[in-house]
Order: sequence, then C-alpha cells, then structure tokens
Amino acid sequence: MKLGVFAIKNLAQHKVRTILTLLSIVAAVAVLFTLLSFNQGYEAALKDQLQQMGVHIMAVPMGCPFESATLILKGGKIPAYLDMSVMEQIDQIDGIQIAAPSLMHGLIRPEEGRTDIFLGIDERMLTLKNWWKIKGSFFKKNNDIILGYNAALVELAEVGDQIYLPEYDKTFNVVGILESTGTQDDGFFYIPLATAQALFGQEHKITHIQIRVKDPAQADAIAGQLQNIDGLSVLTTAELMGTMLSLMGSAKTLIFSIVLIAIVISTLGVLNTVLMSVFERTREIGIMRATGAAKRHIFALIWLETLSLSLIGGTLGIVIALIGAGQIETVIKRFLPIAPQGSIVSLDPGNLLLCLAFILGIGVFAGLYPAYKAATANPIQTLRKE
Amino acid sequence: MSVILQAEKLCRYYRRGSETVKALQELDLTLHKGQIISIVGRSGSGKTTLLNQVGCLDTPTSGRLIIAGTDVTALKEKELEHFRRNHIGFIFQLFYLIPTINVLENVELPLVFARRHNRQKVLEVLELVGLAGKEKLLPKQLSGGDMQRVAIARALINNPKILLADEPTGRLEKEEKAPIMDLFQQLTKEGLAIIIATHDLAQARYGERILELKDGRIIAEHSPETIVRLRG
Repeated sequence: MKLGVFAIKNLAQHKVRTILTLLSIVAAVAVLFTLLSFNQGYEAALKDQLQQMGVHIMAVPMGCPFESATLILKGGKIPAYLDMSVMEQIDQIDGIQIAAPSLMHGLIRPEEGRTDIFLGIDERMLTLKNWWKIKGSFFKKNNDIILGYNAALVELAEVGDQIYLPEYDKTFNVVGILESTGTQDDGFFYIPLATAQALFGQEHKITHIQIRVKDPAQADAIAGQLQNIDGLSVLTTAELMGTMLSLMGSAKTLIFSIVLIAIVISTLGVLNTVLMSVFERTREIGIMRATGAAKRHIFALIWLETLSLSLIGGTLGIVIALIGAGQIETVIKRFLPIAPQGSIVSLDPGNLLLCLAFILGIGVFAGLYPAYKAATANPIQTLRKE
Repeated sequence: MSVILQAEKLCRYYRRGSETVKALQELDLTLHKGQIISIVGRSGSGKTTLLNQVGCLDTPTSGRLIIAGTDVTALKEKELEHFRRNHIGFIFQLFYLIPTINVLENVELPLVFARRHNRQKVLEVLELVGLAGKEKLLPKQLSGGDMQRVAIARALINNPKILLADEPTGRLEKEEKAPIMDLFQQLTKEGLAIIIATHDLAQARYGERILELKDGRIIAEHSPETIVRLRG
C-alpha cells in the first residue's frame, strides 16, 4: 500500500463530506477555466471579426459613436442619419481606398421573435468587401434583394424566389445569396441603397459609412480629417476594439473578483474538511506515530489527502468546463453587446495549465495548516484522548 | 539472557497547574530478552507513563534509559522516531486499528512508514498471530480477539526488540483473553521482550516478574504464584 492510496481511503471514509467539498472545488475551477477560456476566445474572435470586416474607419452620425458602431456591428435601427452629401467631402480626402455608404434599418418581426436587418448598399460595398462571393448576381433592379447566408436559411429562400414585406406591401426578387462569411454579414438582407432610402422614408440619408484606407498606418490621420466634416463622428476599428476590450476588462475584473471569492470559499471548505478529519482522527494519528510514523509521514499523509481532494475536484471542474463549453458559449452570447461569429470560448492549453497550477495551489495552501496540526500533535495526548 | 532494557532512576514529572505531578519516581528496571514483565497498579499509578518512556513516545525528566545498548535519553526527536520504528512495538487496549484499511494494510502500515515494503513478511506475521485468510477483512468485520491479533501483528512487523502492551486483554471477552496471552508467551521464545501493563491480575500472572506500581514507584514485586494468591 502506498501513502497516496491510504490518503484516498481516508477521504472515502466520509463520502458525503468529501463529495460536497469536491463540488465546491469543481464549481470554482469550472468557472475559472470557462472565464479564462471565454476571455481569451472573445478577444481573439473580436479581433478576427473586426479584421475580416476590411474596414479601418467607421463614420457615423454625431452622437455616441460607440453606440452607433455597436449597432452597426450587431445590426439594429440607427436613431440618427447622415446626409448623402458627406460622401462628396469624404471622397476628396486623400488616402481613402473606398468609402461605402449604407442605410441600416431593423424590421421587428414579433411573431417570429426576431429582427430582420435590412441594409441599403450600392456597388461600393461590393468593392469594400471584395471577398464576398455571391451565388447569383448583384442588384440590377430596384426591387432586387441579396440575402446573407443565414438570412437565406431563415427565409428558406433560393435565387429566383420572391420575398414579400407586408409592412411596406413590397415584393423583392432574390437575385443573390451570400456564401457564408462567418461574420455578421451572413444575417443581413441587402437591398439597393436608393430603394432602402425610399422604402424606409429616409430620402438621401444614410446611417453609416465604412471606409478602407490605402495604408492602415494612416487610419488615425485620415480619421482626424474626417472628424472635421460637419455632423460626422468617426471611429477607427482599432479604437472600437480597444474600447470594447476595455469595457470587457472592467466586466472581467468584476467577474474575476467574484471567482476569487468562490475560490477562497472552496479553499476554506477544503481546509475545514481536512481539519475536521484531522480532529476526528487524533487517536489514529497517535497510533501511527506509535507504530513508526515520523512527523513528516503524518504531514505527508494529510497533505496528500488535501492534494487529492483538490486534484480530483479540479480535474472534474476542467472536464465539466470542456464538456459544457458549447452550452456556456450559447448562454454567454445572449448577453453580449457584440457576439462575434464563430467560437468565443478558446480552449487553450495555457489556461489548462494555469487552472491546474491553481488547483495545486488550493491543495498546497489548504493542506498546510491541517497537516502541520496533525504532525505536531503530541502522540501521548492523542493516544490518551477518548 | 542478555539485557534488552535498563532503566536507572527514571523520573517523569510534569506540571498540572501549580502542582508538580510525579508520574515516575527514580524507577529502576531491567528487562531481558524473551522475558515478560507485568506492571500492575491502580489507575494513575504510572503504568502508562512507564510504557510511554520505554516506547520512546516521551522523554524522562531525569534518569537513564538504555534499550538494546542505546541510551535513548540522549537521542534527539528524529533519532527517537527512527529508534521507535525499529525497536518498539505497541499494543493498546482499544486495538486502535485504522478503520478505512483492511487487515493486511493495517499490518503493513509501519512498513509503509519505514519504506520497507514486504508483502511476504506481512503474510508471515499474520499467519504467526493466527489471522491467515482474514487479510482482506476490514477491522469492523473482526471479533475483539482478532482485532487484537491484528494489532499484535502490526506491532511485530518491524521486528521490534520490545513489545509494550497496555491492557491488551482489557476489552476482550473472557474466552478471548487466554489465547492472546498464550500468543505473547509464544513470541518470547523468539527472544521478544514484553512489558504488559494491566489491572487484571489473572493476566499479570503471565509475567515472569510482576511489578506493582504506586505513585510512580515500584512498591512490590510478585511472582506468578504469589499473584495468584493475591487474587484470592
């Protein structure tokens, strides 16, 4: 028999107590691992998403640029508009490769429990998003519509089908369907810009302009020039990402503080369990001392019990987090202001190692005092104890 | 026969509040290999204190204690732990087996601490104490007599020179007592020296010498024959 086996058998003696303690470790480690994975995954996915947009600057109506930018990314009804005339001023600025105006409008469909995002665009969008692959063709007529990949799935529509908007008594012909881009673009309904302006009563208006510059290093300088245009609020994607990550950072600090408390509680739980077991086994420990155990043996035994508890609980926590990553991701996405397409939970080996180190930390720390207490108990007094 | 234990003017005093308790007072004792000595006396007479001294669980206030040629009063704590592991076996009235592990593992435990894994030796000792075939049972599945046999096997596994038994038959049924004492006698034939502390004069008669303790002093020495008469 090895000392480790003996330690496990001791833990098995009080099954309910051991299981309850294990559960607290499982919960703390599962939450920690999930948060670490989510944090890393979300940052990476957000960067990918913004880079895939191929857009360096976003121009929106004066107001809170972050709110508008968020709505543009997520899709929604923008509460303010720009006049199309700003496009002439923008086109005069050097260094801009392409500036694509859009009019975004959200059509709420309460009976289906969703909001359909209509985006009025023109050929400039096609130049901006030159990676788009359209099954079918771009608009030729005013009542043509192109569906994003997911929008087509929702509408069960094919090229050649018609889509009727009862709110506006308007029928569109589906002329193209976007191949999956893995971005928000997949969920939109694209119609000609002029049609959108007429249909939604915003003649000559747009909600935003997406701009790609020739040299990304010049994005800030160009944004500065754009800022001088009346009524225009400008945001670079780098700024947008920085702000989002900074907002995330605040939320992260709060969440990690809560996790830290959970961890402290589970550490105290482990300490309490092992300490109780030490008190209950005072005489047993005395016997072990009398039958040849040195102080270090008793210390090692109690410490092994704590480490076993932590390692078993921690490993279970990580396994549960790994298995539940998909479900956790679905839940988290619902509450995020911007949920990038693709996975936002990154199962990174580094996080795994960090969690394992953390589990060992719990075991080592929580085991120190009970192990010391047991090892230094006077064998004569422990044997006398009834 | 050669001397295995020599106690010279052994004293153990300790403080209880403002009072000094003299648990052992200038006690002299000699124990030979293969000899059983019984220590009798009322509760508080110093029996267990003496066993703790001889068992190297405690250090004397003064005096000398030489076991197997080593003056254990001069040893440091770690040396005492090592000495105890290799020279002393303990048996207690309440057996004190570890409930979570089986018979075999209970007996094996001192070897685990000594890092001397020897499954064959464990089986041999179990056979010696009459527990062959009961290796996989848990302590709660054993009778009192068998539990004490496990405790004896555990005490013997490290080949001790001295076996210390504190009321070894105190919790056993009447019919279980004699076989345990017979086992002790059998073990002395291998050269093992045994000190038995007991209230039970019937068990004390198994000792070659029977020392009566009172207030930490030996006040009388009886032979097995005289102790039988004392019992009436």
